[in-house]
Amino acid sequence: MTSLSSSPRQPCSRVTVGWTSRSLGSRLQHAVFYRLIAVGGRKAAYALLFPVVLLFTFKQEVIRRSAPYLQHRFPGSGHFDRWRRRRRLLWEFGKTLVDRAVAGITGEFGVETDQRELDTIFELHKENIGLIMLSSHIGAWQMSMSVLPDCLPVPVSVVLYRDPGDLDRHYFDHAGKAPAFSVIDPSGGMSSALAMVQTLQKGGILCMMGDRLFGNSQECRAPFLGEAVSLPYTPYYLASVTGAPIVVFFSPRVGPGKVRNIIVDVIRVPSGLGKTPAAYEPYARRFAEAMEKRVRINPYQFFNFFNLWEQPPSRRSRQTETA
Amino acid sequence: MNDIKETLKKALIKELKLEDVNPQDIEDDAPLFGEGLGLDSLDAIELVVLVQRHFGLSMQDQEEARLAFASVNALSAYIEARLAC
Repeated sequence: MTSLSSSPRQPCSRVTVGWTSRSLGSRLQHAVFYRLIAVGGRKAAYALLFPVVLLFTFKQEVIRRSAPYLQHRFPGSGHFDRWRRRRRLLWEFGKTLVDRAVAGITGEFGVETDQRELDTIFELHKENIGLIMLSSHIGAWQMSMSVLPDCLPVPVSVVLYRDPGDLDRHYFDHAGKAPAFSVIDPSGGMSSALAMVQTLQKGGILCMMGDRLFGNSQECRAPFLGEAVSLPYTPYYLASVTGAPIVVFFSPRVGPGKVRNIIVDVIRVPSGLGKTPAAYEPYARRFAEAMEKRVRINPYQFFNFFNLWEQPPSRRSRQTETA
Repeated sequence: MNDIKETLKKALIKELKLEDVNPQDIEDDAPLFGEGLGLDSLDAIELVVLVQRHFGLSMQDQEEARLAFASVNALSAYIEARLAC
């Protein structure tokens, strides 16, 4: 999701690449769930979620959007198996959304982080060059980021894009107060870039997602589940320019309202690599490897409902030009 | 002021790897981004780091940075003012 324009004279547009942050549910459906959580709590919302998920498994839009991941993660599945796996994926996704809403409405949620993982963050923070926390749309990443400001008394910024008109509410929207971190909209061009680098210069934590392209960004190619995907190169470029280490972490949901932060890699990107995406591909590959290992452990918590393996239009047009 | 401009132009060429560009090719009042030097938002990241590395200044205010990045003139004026503080 985190990318900035890297083509001169082409301002970063408000165009997501292949994905959308918009919910498939209607305003009424969202409102019913939010009200139910306020009145009956998490269990009541899970109970309603069950038939809703069942219905959604037959929606063409849902089938289309979930198919690319499921086909790559579970190749060769039969018709019934595909439906079963789709139901599991949607069930996990639904519970994650319910948990997020519960966190905002009632404040109930817990994030587990091992002392060893915290020590890694503390040690890296001592270098005082900022920290890039790079994650993926796995589990309940937003909830996990909400506790980062409690770990370290430093500024925390999260790069977060929301489609205009998106009905889905983040936990801090429910709470009616500002989140514990500042939000950087990646569509802001230079403003976004400045906000990111300034967070790092203050010795702060910059949270980014490494699995979705945004705007006119250039991309790195890396194998994921057997085929190449396009990943944003901005995190690695930022790390190269500022010297900040990249902490790769995932936040799988481990129970009702419970998330576990798992640090899987620390990537150091050397300086002076310029702006050629190919120079950053070794680092994007490490991220993709980590992401693949994680989805092998938590196969139903990978929430990218679009074709990650489809080449973005920018790459397709470049290929056409050179053909 | 001229020293700052000269240092700045040389740093821009070196750090941003501007190929086939000499310091005298960069006009003092031409926009750095878009139509002028053609820098993009990723270059803004490099510029902030460049100012810190070469002049020891941390650009913490986003609006100030935006204004300073208008041109070489604007950026050198910003640097001069900050160094005088």
